[in-house]
Amino acid sequence: MSISRIVSAVCAIGWISLGPALGQDSIKIGVTQPLTGAFAASGNYVAQGARMAEGDVNKAGGVIGKKIELIIEDNKSNPTEAVATAEKLIQKDKVPVMMGAWSSTLTLAVMPKLMEYEVPMLVETSSSGKITTSGNPWIFRISPTSEMEAKAFAPLVKTIGIKKADMLYTNNDFGIGAAQEFAAMLKASGVEIGARETMDPKAVDFSAQLAKIKASRGDTLFVTTAVEQITLILKQAKEQRLNERIITTGGSNSPDQLIAQAGEAANGSMHLVFFTPWFPDAVKNPDVAKQFLALWKEKNFPVGGLTEGFRGWDGIHVIASAISAAGVAEPEAIGKALWTVKVRGINGDIAFIKQGPAGKESAQNVPSVYLVKIDAGKVAMAQ
Amino acid sequence: MPILSFAWLALLFSVPLWMADLYVLHVLIVTGIFIIAAMSLNLLLGYTGQLSLGHVAFFGIGAYVSSLVSLGCQVHLLPHWQVSLAAQPVWVGMLSGVAAAGLSGFLIGKIAFKVRGAYFVIVTVSFAEVVHLVALNWVELTQGPMALNNIRPLTLSIPFLVDISFARKPASYYLVLTVALVAYVLIRRLVRSRAGRAMVALRENEPLAASVGVDVTRYLVLATVLSAAIAGAAGVLYAHYVRIVDPDIFLFIYTVIMVIMVISGGKGTLAGPIVGGLIFGLLPEVLRAFAIKPEVQWVIYGVLMVLIVYFLPEGIVPAARSAWLALARPAAWRNAPRLMR
Amino acid sequence: MEQLLQHGVNALVLGGTYALLGIGLTLIFGIMRVVNFTHGELYSFGAYMMFLWVMQAGVNFFLALPLAVLLGLLLGAGIELLLLRRLRGADIDTTMLVMIGAWIALQNFEQLCWSGVAKSIATPFPAAPLVLGPVAVSWNRLFVFIVAIALIAATQALVKGTRLGKAMRATFQDRDTAALMGVDIALIHTATFALGSALAAAAGALLGPVFVVYPTMGDLASLKAFAIVILGGLGSIPGAAAGGFILAFIEELGAGYISSGYRDAMGFLLIIVILLVRPTGLVAQRERIS
Repeated sequence: MSISRIVSAVCAIGWISLGPALGQDSIKIGVTQPLTGAFAASGNYVAQGARMAEGDVNKAGGVIGKKIELIIEDNKSNPTEAVATAEKLIQKDKVPVMMGAWSSTLTLAVMPKLMEYEVPMLVETSSSGKITTSGNPWIFRISPTSEMEAKAFAPLVKTIGIKKADMLYTNNDFGIGAAQEFAAMLKASGVEIGARETMDPKAVDFSAQLAKIKASRGDTLFVTTAVEQITLILKQAKEQRLNERIITTGGSNSPDQLIAQAGEAANGSMHLVFFTPWFPDAVKNPDVAKQFLALWKEKNFPVGGLTEGFRGWDGIHVIASAISAAGVAEPEAIGKALWTVKVRGINGDIAFIKQGPAGKESAQNVPSVYLVKIDAGKVAMAQ
Repeated sequence: MPILSFAWLALLFSVPLWMADLYVLHVLIVTGIFIIAAMSLNLLLGYTGQLSLGHVAFFGIGAYVSSLVSLGCQVHLLPHWQVSLAAQPVWVGMLSGVAAAGLSGFLIGKIAFKVRGAYFVIVTVSFAEVVHLVALNWVELTQGPMALNNIRPLTLSIPFLVDISFARKPASYYLVLTVALVAYVLIRRLVRSRAGRAMVALRENEPLAASVGVDVTRYLVLATVLSAAIAGAAGVLYAHYVRIVDPDIFLFIYTVIMVIMVISGGKGTLAGPIVGGLIFGLLPEVLRAFAIKPEVQWVIYGVLMVLIVYFLPEGIVPAARSAWLALARPAAWRNAPRLMR
Repeated sequence: MEQLLQHGVNALVLGGTYALLGIGLTLIFGIMRVVNFTHGELYSFGAYMMFLWVMQAGVNFFLALPLAVLLGLLLGAGIELLLLRRLRGADIDTTMLVMIGAWIALQNFEQLCWSGVAKSIATPFPAAPLVLGPVAVSWNRLFVFIVAIALIAATQALVKGTRLGKAMRATFQDRDTAALMGVDIALIHTATFALGSALAAAAGALLGPVFVVYPTMGDLASLKAFAIVILGGLGSIPGAAAGGFILAFIEELGAGYISSGYRDAMGFLLIIVILLVRPTGLVAQRERIS
């Protein structure tokens, strides 16, 4: 046994026990987003929107007399890491409320921690039905569920004229949940389902899946995944001469980014989005949308991120409103207050309804859904 | 020396009593788990001299098997043949995890030790990658990228006597500490036994060892099985503490972290992986306190590794020991054979 | 049948880049006996250089490509001179650890500069593919294939036909005798590492525009390069080239007909099987068991 071991161990333990004292004057809000990894593009947009909202709230004087401070942690698009960020935000930074975690798989991973530590979390993007039906009263979701999205799309099936649909989706809760809901909706509308192919969230080569989809000879392909993979799918579908119209779901498809990166291959594709920055007058609260657009442009953030960044903006404003209503920065009070908020958000008026098993309901908002089409490098409304 | 050991142990056991910050305890627990894995790697890398870079496979197999056994699972081995396992008590899961890891160590040992050197490295890396991809794609069994969630923690309840749930951090800390001690003692006994000396002989000069009658394959496989089982135990602890397991647990970077801990601490020494583990396990948290971006942290890691290799090529522990000897007993240091420094 | 042909075409394209990766590593591994973990990082470096010059600096795509390869060559030489030279004669663990440290530093430096978000590189090729009968191949991928073959041929010519190449082969066969015969071993090592790195950078620069560029793209490439080296046998360029194509075919056919998810596993399973049956690789080269 050497002294070096003891000395080094004691030093290490002592050193990390110190750690700087953080500012006591601000209210901390924990944000966990995928800033690196397979969902990094969208995660960064949400974080940018959230930061803008932070500035907006603080400019108006903050909440209950204090400024809000966002602590944004990178969950690396990985569920184990998402749990680690939740642990750090709740245990170390002692945040009274959180927002996250973008992907449904990541949010589902964090949910047990919310129950354990009794901290509310605002879900801004995840779409899996399981999140609000698992009996977790600490979940407050403003994004639509895949079921809501599919229902909103149902009337358009006849208008577009879909007879046989194929599905290509990512192999996690987001993709699998969406595929289930859309398949059910399509079947109910009399559409035949052809090939159902999956891919790993980190895959870059889809030639095998696209070949099978091509062989099924459907007229429409429904794609559900993150924007990085959508870009590659569009390009590779064109290379493989796939003749089906492509419709992407989930709302995290950033059409402007697709136009910029997939170019010609993006033409003819349709996308289900939850905010139409190209037509701000089409949304319920155009003044909020225009304010958001102006600020985003001022900060010089990428145009492609508008359809994603609004989630962060809406999310932080809802949280701020709840803290104001609660009067204190305590998790339980904020949780109670969230049920009562009514915020004029970019995606319509935000308010929560109960969802899930009685006695342990989660909160769900009912947002708007829009269908857009990319034609000749431009975005147009398709409904 | 025993006095120093007792003081050291007492200090370790006392930590939860005075450490109020639960987050620091959390960091220590995770670091402890990685130290156990590093100690097991040291057995292969340091004592037997085998460059096994697939070690994270054993860690992950332990984690997954334990989780699946304690959660219960059902899977179609053939399209119409469904096999299902009801949820077992957590301790059964844990033992299964360790056993599965040991068994895979045996299998991979038998296969991999047909070759040496660079080829051995590649076989071990390939094995880990195959296991990674199976975990990722066999979604019915492992849930793939959706991760195995809601893993139950170990609980110990003897009516009227004890009721501990190891979900609480102080209890987990003691569990990890106990397993680490057991692993340390096991490794130490093996290394100081005849088998251990045979392994070191293999490391130093395999053909010569074989020529004097050392059964090469037997000792190598023995080392691999024990090493894999201990790594599996670390994985089991990890799964039931963090309570979520996803295929990224098999990423090569985790093997690299273990290798860094072993080699920088001092491979072939008992204390090496512990020192290396403490440094490289706690360093990210120390750096985080200075609000440095994670990428910069890792760049610092990389540079630090290179520096340690240049200036302390045998690792920190041998260098420290050498310095201590040089200061305290110059005569003994001068006369010691090179290997002992 | 059409699908089979299509898979074949895809495999050829992929095989070209795999071959580049494999040849680069087999040279380094064979001549210098270094377990080069930075090989994957040179691959992603090549891709990031294309992003930097084409997207951020606005350089012409066809000029940026040789520039990226040249920068990869220089980076490789730099790594050898700065890190490996001092470790001449050290044991394999030590050099391996240094290479791991360099790998971590490089990858995170890339992430620091360009963030973890995946990047797309615009290409001058049309989006519609070239149709050759029943199969279609994108112009971009066709270009990749042609350039890869050209580079492989050039490397083979360098190693077989020039004095430098002869010196490299001599060093591979017997370092001490080569030194005795007047070969500057230090120079050969630097040249070898630089050449191998340039090939890896070329593979990355070629494939980057086909897919996307992200900091961890080199990790799998690194592992596959090692697999290709085993398949082809240490130090053999034709072996590595063959290994690259074989791996690509196994992956494509496996993905198309067995399971698309296990695509990447095919190669590694193959390695394990081959090493059990024929431990010296496809093209026999003696590897001392020690």
